[in-house]
Amino acid sequence: MSAHDWFVEHRMDYVARTLEESELRTFQDHLARCPECAGEVASIERDLAWLPMGAAPVALRPGLSRRLAEGVLETRGRRWMRRAMPAAMAASLLLGAAGWLAGRLETERLARELQERDRRLAALTDTVSITRGADRVLQASIDMDGREGGILIFDDSATHRWNVVIHGLPPAPAGQVYRFWFICEEKMVPGAEVSAGANPALFTLPMPPEGGKVMGAALTVESLATPPMEPRGRTLAELML
Amino acid sequence: MTPTRRRAGHEARSSPRGSIWAAGGEDLRARLVARDERALAELIDVASPWLLGIAQGMLQDPVEAEEVVLEVMTIAWNRIELVGAEGSALMPWLLRVTRNRTIDRLRARRRRGSALAAASADPGIVRHVEDESRIDEAGAPGWHVHRSVHAALDSLPEDQRTAVRLAYFEGLTHSEIAERLAIPLGTVKTRLRLGFGRLRVSLAPIKDWVL
Repeated sequence: MSAHDWFVEHRMDYVARTLEESELRTFQDHLARCPECAGEVASIERDLAWLPMGAAPVALRPGLSRRLAEGVLETRGRRWMRRAMPAAMAASLLLGAAGWLAGRLETERLARELQERDRRLAALTDTVSITRGADRVLQASIDMDGREGGILIFDDSATHRWNVVIHGLPPAPAGQVYRFWFICEEKMVPGAEVSAGANPALFTLPMPPEGGKVMGAALTVESLATPPMEPRGRTLAELML
Repeated sequence: MTPTRRRAGHEARSSPRGSIWAAGGEDLRARLVARDERALAELIDVASPWLLGIAQGMLQDPVEAEEVVLEVMTIAWNRIELVGAEGSALMPWLLRVTRNRTIDRLRARRRRGSALAAASADPGIVRHVEDESRIDEAGAPGWHVHRSVHAALDSLPEDQRTAVRLAYFEGLTHSEIAERLAIPLGTVKTRLRLGFGRLRVSLAPIKDWVL
């Protein structure tokens, strides 16, 4: 008995669907490759086309015809929806992902901005707290190349910090820079380089850890080439406690 | 209401509905292809009792049987351009697809070992379903075909008829029939081969009826 004989023998069983599941799959695979068996199976199906009508008909329950018709037509609509839905869902997901990404980037940007603002607010609050808690306020006028400005120092002895406000400064001459100094018992200690771009310039400085007791402050114009070790340039303002 | 033959020389019997049971079956198919919803309603009215009979006979569950019929009608409606084309008739296609779909469900159910499978073995339930809904008189279109098929089945020896009924109308496999009848597998195969062989011969005269 050849392998093909088995298929010849079971053609009828295939049509009747009495084959076991594994046999059924084997037969289906064979049918796809064997025109002879496919032709004979089609012939058997034609011969037995009406055999299912050996089952007695069943009366339809009231309303079933209508429900079936509605079901068929509704299913057709749902089928269209099923076809369209994956594309719509994919588009939605894509848009959603893009939106999420954009939203996330925007959120991150806003978070960074908010963080920066918080930081600035905290700094400002701190600065204001120094200004409000200042025990002393030192003030002096500045005359720089015929332009008048001023310097204000708010001394907060509780936190040992100064708020320094300098206003009215023209841009520093080329190759020069404004420097703020602490006048201490032992020496002049560099405090900060003052940016004339910010008007007024506002900065907070802690008391220097060296040089002994702070006696006052000075603002000078220094050459950029000079290391900020001690003032050598012109003194614009000097304030003593 | 009876089927008609395609072949020339045979008198075409008319149908009051002019539906798939008559030579106008091609007309119904054409209307279905044209998406005529009234044609769909006609198809459902005429074919559903038979399709339901196949599905309910195997599944013994009216609700699930109706689901099968809905599936088949939906396929037919959506693929009507392909169904019944090239000379193949619409009703045999519906019958074959219904039977295949029902067997698929039946075997899936058996694999799951659901309670329904157990219920289907309860003859009480079988009787209940059959008693309430079976059409027992020639009131349905196609009854003539039913009678012809029954005559062919009745002409089989009893052992072959029993095997054919279990295989074809209850959807059992060879091994399940062997177990049910407590006979060797080879005997089942022999009985089925003989039985279906005889049926091919006895049903040959009606195979070209157009429904």
